[in-house]
Formats: sequence, structure tokens, C-alpha cells
Amino acid sequence: MTISRRRLLQVGSLGASLTLSDYLRIASANGAVDSGRSAVLVFLGGGPSHLDTFDMKPNAPAEYRGQFKPIQTAAPGVRICEHLPKLASRADQYAVIRGITHSLADHGLGTRYLMTGNLPTPVVDYPMYGSVVSKEFPAAPELPSFVSIERPVEGPGYLGAEYGPLSTGEKPRYGQPFRVRGITLDGTMTLDRYRRRRSFLKDIDTAFAGYEQLDESVRSLDRFSGQAFQIISSPKARAAFDLSHETDREVDRFGRHEFGQSMLLTTRLIEAGVRFVTVLLEGWDTHQDNFNQLGRELLPNLDQSLAAMLDRFSEQGRLDSTAVLVTGEFGRTPKINNNAGRDHWARAMCSLMAGGNVRGGQTLGETDDKAQGPEGDGFTPDDLAASFFQNIGIDPKTEYQANVGRPITLIRDGATIPGLLA
Amino acid sequence: MYASAVKPGLVFLLSLVTFGGSADAEPLPPANQRFQSAETEEVPEFQRHVVPLLGRLGCNGRNCHGSFQGRGDFRLSLFGYDFEMDHEGLVADASDSVGKRIDQSEPANSLILRKPSLEIDHEGGRRFTQNSWEYHLLHRWIKTGAKKSAPSQELLRLEVQPKEMLFSQQNQTSQLQVVAVWQNGDREDVTPLCRFRTNDDSVAVVDRNGEVTSTGEGDTHVIAFYDNGIGSVPVMRAQTSSRFVPVEIGPEMAPIDRFVVTKLNKLNITPSQQCTDSEFLRRASIDLTGTLPTSQEVREFLADTDRDKRLRKIDELLSRPAYAAWWANKLCDFTGCNPQQQAELGQELSVQWYGWIKTRLDENLPYDELVRKVVLARGRSPQQSYEEFARETSGYFRDDPSAQFSDRETMPHYWTRRSMQKPEQAAEAFAHNFLGIRLQCAQCHKHPFAAWTQNDYRNFSRFFENVTFGIRPEDRDAYQRIAKRVGMSLRGDEGSPIRNDALRKLSAGTVYPWRELYIKQRSEAEELNLLRSGTVELRRETDPRQPIMDWMRDPNNPWFAKAFVNRVWASYFQNGIVDPPDDLNPANPPTHPELLAWLSNSFVENGYDIKWLHRQIVSSDTYQRSWRPSHNNREDQKNFSRQIPRRMPAEVVYDSVKQVVAASDQAEEVRADLTRRASGHLSMRLAGTYAMRVFGKPERAVNCDCERNNHPTLLQAVFLQNDPIIEQRLENSGWVQEMKDQEAEGNLQSHRKLVSEAWLRALGRPANRSEIEQSVQFVQQAESVAAGMQDLLWSLLNTKEFLLIK
Repeated sequence: MTISRRRLLQVGSLGASLTLSDYLRIASANGAVDSGRSAVLVFLGGGPSHLDTFDMKPNAPAEYRGQFKPIQTAAPGVRICEHLPKLASRADQYAVIRGITHSLADHGLGTRYLMTGNLPTPVVDYPMYGSVVSKEFPAAPELPSFVSIERPVEGPGYLGAEYGPLSTGEKPRYGQPFRVRGITLDGTMTLDRYRRRRSFLKDIDTAFAGYEQLDESVRSLDRFSGQAFQIISSPKARAAFDLSHETDREVDRFGRHEFGQSMLLTTRLIEAGVRFVTVLLEGWDTHQDNFNQLGRELLPNLDQSLAAMLDRFSEQGRLDSTAVLVTGEFGRTPKINNNAGRDHWARAMCSLMAGGNVRGGQTLGETDDKAQGPEGDGFTPDDLAASFFQNIGIDPKTEYQANVGRPITLIRDGATIPGLLA
Repeated sequence: MYASAVKPGLVFLLSLVTFGGSADAEPLPPANQRFQSAETEEVPEFQRHVVPLLGRLGCNGRNCHGSFQGRGDFRLSLFGYDFEMDHEGLVADASDSVGKRIDQSEPANSLILRKPSLEIDHEGGRRFTQNSWEYHLLHRWIKTGAKKSAPSQELLRLEVQPKEMLFSQQNQTSQLQVVAVWQNGDREDVTPLCRFRTNDDSVAVVDRNGEVTSTGEGDTHVIAFYDNGIGSVPVMRAQTSSRFVPVEIGPEMAPIDRFVVTKLNKLNITPSQQCTDSEFLRRASIDLTGTLPTSQEVREFLADTDRDKRLRKIDELLSRPAYAAWWANKLCDFTGCNPQQQAELGQELSVQWYGWIKTRLDENLPYDELVRKVVLARGRSPQQSYEEFARETSGYFRDDPSAQFSDRETMPHYWTRRSMQKPEQAAEAFAHNFLGIRLQCAQCHKHPFAAWTQNDYRNFSRFFENVTFGIRPEDRDAYQRIAKRVGMSLRGDEGSPIRNDALRKLSAGTVYPWRELYIKQRSEAEELNLLRSGTVELRRETDPRQPIMDWMRDPNNPWFAKAFVNRVWASYFQNGIVDPPDDLNPANPPTHPELLAWLSNSFVENGYDIKWLHRQIVSSDTYQRSWRPSHNNREDQKNFSRQIPRRMPAEVVYDSVKQVVAASDQAEEVRADLTRRASGHLSMRLAGTYAMRVFGKPERAVNCDCERNNHPTLLQAVFLQNDPIIEQRLENSGWVQEMKDQEAEGNLQSHRKLVSEAWLRALGRPANRSEIEQSVQFVQQAESVAAGMQDLLWSLLNTKEFLLIK
């Protein structure tokens, strides 16, 4: 922790008036290798059915395969669900990872495992992806490094609260002004009034005058207070969160539903220089009525918005520098239950990766004929995490001095999935 | 009744280091002398010489052969002490085609000699040369049969000389000597076989031969590791300061101050002056009661001319319900109260847990009694039938409760958490919660900095095997009957969790079938080693927690009282006397050993009186020092020569903001009404909310005091500057509303008065003249006084002075 704080201090001391490119130039001149990568995590909370999305088993008995049909995609040999036509025609842009397996069929534990790449234990609180990224690749001072749309998916763990996400508190809704918790200046609060408050604050915050550098607590309060002011008052940060800058065509391309607007916001944030964004699409916990819920809403929304994000990143030449992971916390029971639903199933699940060095247009790993478990050993959430970090440009074997009294390897047990990355 | 007793053993001594004074024979000279020549006839010993040598050479380190995957197909136990495994690893055939790891017929051909001397390639580089004593020692061991040691020789202690090192200038050096004393009376100088470490390399460094070099002013420890022993030596270098005048230690000086000042005098550090009255009042109010003083209280305290007013204030604060409320938060931290980990109804059960502790603190129940009621908790009292138990437990949830959980004799929720169901996890949590020690390393390997071996870990875990949460076999019918009545579906014989949807019926008086904390019979009687403090005989029906509790209450217990007083101390200063406060181990020695010993012994002698402990600390000069540095203590971070500003804890930030903006006639109520306070009844209701997470209220999910994070962060700054919660508080401020009303009626107080009041509320001190001038001007520039005051309050809440305890 000492190291991290010292490092942060150095970054902070670069001063307030740097632009992003200044910062990157200095960072690379200092030898701090900056991959320039950003990342997006689309979390499909609740545990999406692998059999009804990206790991279909059309030849399994009816009580397993369900009512959806697979369709051909742009990638030879890769077949996915018929309710994902847009993603099917873009299959060359992502890789499907099948046969991911673990044993924590509980939402809390499963999420913790998938979001950290380490089996949960009461001894160590592991950090979420975004916290690691904001530690390794901090954003420019006037931007938050790590944003969670609506609410965080897991926290900074042993890295400490300073690497936690800025969460927006709510999802953007079409046609309504979007207020970001802590960032947006609200109705009655004008920028002028905020500046006036801030300047008066500077006048009266003098209790430690002459001793500003003496103690860490005093130093960091000053530093963070200044940075918060920059973020809140910066036109750049404000613009990044403001969806009214988008044309109707873009709004429609992403979809007018909450998830579409969230994905559009995610895209804007990444374009502005935020390093890590988490975005939620929930509702996959389909113990009942699985097919209607997926077919009518979840799959079409995912299809539209994810395809739109991939397209926009490609159009802007940003896909190569943005690592994308789409995953839930587990799969669902291959055998359909009496309520036309599927229950929790951790022995097999699937995820999607795109951007960065991902070799698209392929599937990796496979499950048995009823999608009950992987063929062979399969992959673990640790492997998935190692691969994601690798793709972001962070060595999964990086060690941190955690405050539990021993060094901790970022991803102890996982290895990058062979063939996934170019 | 339980039938077991702790048999005190010699092993207590192992964690201590004793110095000189013994009339023992001269120790055996060090191995680097005895194996200097290749011609020696001595036969090296595996445990005493070979394994420590491999440790010192770094072979069994984490990045080399001690890695859990080994290196180059060769694996040693991490940090040694698994002699079976290490011996097997050494004598086993290497898959390497270049030769055998150990070649008894031609010792010089052994890979363990050729590789580290770089005769052939070795990824780990050169560790010794061919004519070194290290080479000779290993060569002799191979040549004489590469034998294993006799099973388990016990190291009694390490004797380290000198007792302390006092340096006076840069680069001055001093040599450590370490003597190992074995249980059979053997004594050997093991200096060249030790691993050494410094705890602060800006004060002193130590080389691999045990030579210590002064690198800066200040104090730290150097640590020696050998076999299972650990020795530490304090190293100090006083400040060079011509203006330094030692503080006189008079007979009236409080014991705490005596210990602290004695060390400061040794280091030539002049402590800071006493803090001001307003600083004291704000600091003590927050630390003791988690509450800001009201403006009225500040005025009265400053006007009070009594010499003993600080002592009187301490007693008054200790008698307030807010004291019990705030410290219940801390004890919930220490014991791990977490809604996510409760077996059922997480929110409700954690609220009960908090409330139970708060009531005990209100009664000022002695600490050992409080812990006993947690440690020995059971679901029901011996006379109670299952039906009565179910009725009583359901009764806590009724709208008109038939019984109060906080009136319960014991508090079972500690044990019924899901995180306590595996004996190993229970053992780790228990050791952390009540002893301040971290056992978890020893699950996989010998603890690198403590004496704990995997065997100690396994033995301690086994105590917890029969602590059970479920349905006793003889109660299953009764359980089923109640379950059927409420339509619960059952899972197995162990009973099912009560789900949240039961709460409505529970509040209307329905009786639910609860699972129960009880002690299952062990399958057989056995003897277990209790953390190297003797063995305990557990009969089949023994409650295994009883002998642990008895042992903890033994006044000679090395950790129980110490862990608590150190944690309490750490709540009042930036550091514990041992820091991190939850890591008591011989390689992490206290900065003030005599102080810690005095404080914990006196705490025990005073009947574990928690308020006594608070009073001792808060009334000391040491606690009441200013944060402003003296002429030479700016660098001092760990000798308590001044108060280092600390950030307010999450709950206190939350409550303080409310207090600052409250309507004048509400101020007292907002402060005193604990049902509306984040450090009061809302403590567990608010746990996990955005504000609490941002300000570092601990989730209490892992065994680490570090989970409560009081470091400032960017998000906190964003929160205080622009979060909707803060804006709402300012928008809906009763006080600002009052001003609006008065402004409209034209009978507003003077701007000066308003400004002064704001200062007292937020910062607990009167504003000075220039602050008042600036503020009045600022308020007058706003479109209305109310709006101006709103802006002013915003600014005050965002000062460092507001957020820091200084």
C-alpha cells in the first residue's frame, strides 16, 4: 500500500493543468509503460443461460436444448442464438469462450469470483478488475479512472478505497436529463456558484497553513479536493457524461432502452479517456419463464447495444485499444425445470471477449453434448481473468503488497487462454 | 461441566527472547568457523544446520524452490520447517539429466553443490563458492550419509546480543550474535545460519551476516530468524539537536506519559505542546462518542475555568449513551459483525448483534465477561425446551417484542455466521478477533514471522469441529411440527434458514422454527495443543471453547488483553503500539514494550474495566498533545510525540454533516437521538450503503482491521463537494430554513453571530477575526443571507479541518 500511495502522489504532483496527452507523454518518459488501453466490462447479472445464448446444443433432447434455434454467423463454424442476429453478423469481432467452469452457484460468491479472478476467501479481499486498471493506468486528472454505471460490481479490495469506482447512482434513461452522482451539477447548483464556494473554501481552509506537506492525511485531502473540483467543473468530464451531445441516429443505434443508453454512455466515457467502465444488464436469473424473458427483451437489447458499441469503437479505430469482456457469474441448468426456467449452474458457463488483441471469429473451449460441463478441463474464472488482464496490458502475475502481510499475485491460479489473443 | 485444564508448557517461552545472565556453558562456535576447512570431522545436522543454511541462502524462498510449484523440478517447504518434505526433496532423483541432486558416492557431483556454486548453470545464480564454509558444510552432510535429523527437536529460544543498539552517527555498525538454545541444553552460536531483516531501512540495515549499519535517525528493530525461533533487537539513533532539553519525569507523571517520554528522551525528541481546549473537546468527543460537540457545549467548555475540566469532560463523555453506541461499532469491527455473512435474516441479526454489544458497553461489563458471553454462547439455556427456544427467538421480532435480544445472556450470532462453519475458518477468525494474531499463513506453510507451524494451525482448528449450528437430533420432531405450521420447506436434517419473507409473520407473532447453536459430541476424546501454550484434553462432551476461554482469562495469557488494549490505543492515535494492531507477532515488536505490558497488565488488574482503559489513554498528556510539531518532531511517526491528524470514521462523517445543518432547536436532539445516528441504531442498517462504502466503513468480510479505511480518497472529495446527499442536507437544512423565515420576517440575527455559530458547529472552535470578516463579506455577496450561509456551510464541510481529527 505504501508503494501505491507514493506512486499516486507522484502522479498527483504532476500538477493540475496537464492534458491527457501531456500526462501520457510524461508517464512514458518516466518509463511507466502505458499501454493506452481502456476496458469495458458488461456484466450480465443473474447468470445468463449459456445454452440459450452462445453455447447452444441443438442436438440435445428437447428438455435441454430449449426452444431457441442457432443461426450461422459471419465466422465459419460459429453458431449462436437466433435472437442475436446483429452479433451474429459481427462474429469476426469477438471470441466466444465456452466451457468455463467453477463451483460457486451463489450470486454473491459467483460474482466475486468472476469479477476478481480469485476464489473468494475470508482471508483476502481481492480487487475488482477496474480497480487494478485504475491503479495501473490512472486517467488524466480531470477524469475519473474507473466508472461504474448505476452501481459498482465488486470493490477495490486490498488495493484500498482510492481505487474504487465512481458510480453514477442511476442508469441514463432516454429522454430524461442524466444526473451522475457527484459529477453533475444539479439544477440549483450552477458552475458559477460552485466556483464561488470553492474559492471561498480556499480562503478559509487555512488551519494547516505552513504544514500542508507534513502529514499524509493533510496532503491527500488537498490533492483529492483539487482533483474532485477539476472533475466536477471540467467541461470535458461533464461532456463525457452528457448524452445530449449524441445524435438521434446514435441514440437509436444503441437503443432507447436503459441498457442501450448505458452502453452509449460507456462508449462516450471510454472515448473521453476513462480507463475502465462497468455496465450492468440484469435479469438473467431466469428460474421461471426463461425463454420469454430472454427472447423478448434481454437478448434483443444485448444484441443491439453490444453490436452498436463494437461498431462505434471500430469506426473510430478504438477497438484495438479497448478490451471488452461480457460475462455473468455462472451458467444455468441444462435441463429445463417445471416452470420453463433454468436454475443456477456453475459447472458450465460462457463469456465473450473483444477488442485489444483478441482474435475474433472463433470459439475457445467446448462443453459436452448437453452443455453440462466442459470437455476436458475447461477454463476457470481465473483463466478468464488472466486473459482479460493480459489483453488490457497488465501482467496477471503482477504482485501487490497487500495489507495482509504477504505479497499477493494478482491472478494466482489462472493462465491466459491459449489461442485467444494475437 | 467441562473437564479439562490447560497444562502449562515450556513452549510459552518460545515467543520470548531472553538475554544473557545465564551461567550456561560457552556456546558452540559458529558454523562458518567450524566448517571453514574442508578437513573438519564434524557431522552437520539436517534440522540445525542444513535447513537453516538453505533458508539463509534463499533456497526455500517464495520465488525459488519454496514456491508451491517448486523451481526446476525441485521444491522445498516455504520458509522451511517441513523436514520430512525437505529431506525427501533433496534425496529424490532429479529429473535433470546432468546428475543427481545428492550423490553420496561422489558428493562433489551433487547438484546441490554444483548448481549453487555455478559449476553448472543455475537460474538462481551463485549462492556460494567451492571453498566456502557453506560448501564444506553441505559436502560433509552428504558425505556422512545425508541423514535426516532425529524427530522434532525443540528449539527453546534464541538469545540475541546486544540487547539494544544505540547509534550516534551515520554508517556506524554493530554486530549481532545469535545463540540457539535447544531443549536438551545444547547451545550453539547460529549467527551465520540466521536470516536477518530490518523493520525500517531508513533507520538501519542489516546484512546477511548480522552486521547492522545505522542509516538514519529514529528507531526500529532488526529481526533474526532461525529454525522456529525469532529474536528482535531495538535499534535507535537519537536526533542531533542542539536545542533538545529532556523532559523531566516527575513522580506526578501518569504511567503512560512516563513510558512515552522516557523513550522520547532517549531519542532526543521534544514532544509537542498540549492541544488547545477546543481541540481537546472535539478530539475527545469524536474518539469517545463518535460525535461532534454542540456549539453550546464548546462555549461552555471554553468558559469553564476549572483546572480539572478535561478530566470532568472525559467522565461525562464516558457516561453518555453515545459512548456505548460508538464503541459498539468498534467492537463489531473487532468481532466481524457482517449482514452478508449471517446465516439468515442478515440485516436483522446484525442489528441484534450491534445492539447486544451496545447494551453491554452501556453496563460497562468487563471485557473478559463480554467476550465470555460471545465465546461460550449457545442457542438456548439448559432448562429451555426447543419449543420455548423457538418462541423466545421469534419473540424478538414481534411488533410488541415479548423478549429483547439485547437482554440475552449470550450472543450466539458470532458463531452462526456462514463464515464460521468450517473449523479452519473459525480458528483463523477467532485468533484474529480475540488474540490479534494472524494464523492463516500456517495453513499452507510455516509462518514466516511467527512460531506457528502447520501442526499448530491444524490442532487449533480442531477445537472448533463440534461447534454446530442446526437442529439437535432429539429436537427434529419438534422442529418439523413448527416448520409445518408455517409452511417451510426443509432441507436435510440440519434445518433451513428463515427467509426474509417470514419477517411480516414474525412481527405479527407467528413462531418460526429456528436453528440453534449447540455443541455436538466429539467422536472421541482427544488431546490438542492450544497454540503452543500447553495441551488440552477434550472429552467427548466438553465444550471445546471453555478451555480456550479459561486460557484467555489467565492473567499470563500473552495475547488476550494485549490485543484489546492495543486495538483501543490504535483508535486514539495514527498507530497501535504494535502496528498493524491486529498483527501481534515476535517479528513485529511493539514500539513501547513496557507501555504495552503495563497497559495490559493494569487492564487485567482493574478487572478488564473498559472505561478505565479509555480514561487512562484520553487523560494522558500523550493523547492530549497538539498536532503542531515541536522544533524537532516533524519526522516522528511512531513515538506519539504529537497527535497526527486522522480522518473521521465513516459513521462520524455522516452524523456530523447532519449535526452541522440541524435547526437550532433540533441540534441537541440530532446529537443525542441515537436511533437516527449512523454510529447508533442505524449502524448496521446503513452498512454497505454508498456513503458508508465511500468513507471506508468496513464490510467485516475478512480478518483484517485494515478493512476500516480512514484514508482520504478522491471519491470522498467528490461526495463532500457534490453528492446529492450533501446537497439535500444543505437544501433541507433546518437551520438555513430558520434563516430564510427570519429573513422574511426581518428579524434575522447578525451575520457575525451566524458565522460564529457555523464555525462552532462544524469546527468546534470560535472563528478568528479575519475568518469572521471574510465570511461576513462572502455571505453579504450572495443573493440572500440564507443562500450565502448555505454556501458557507458547504465550504466548512469541505475544509480539511472539518474532516480531520486534529
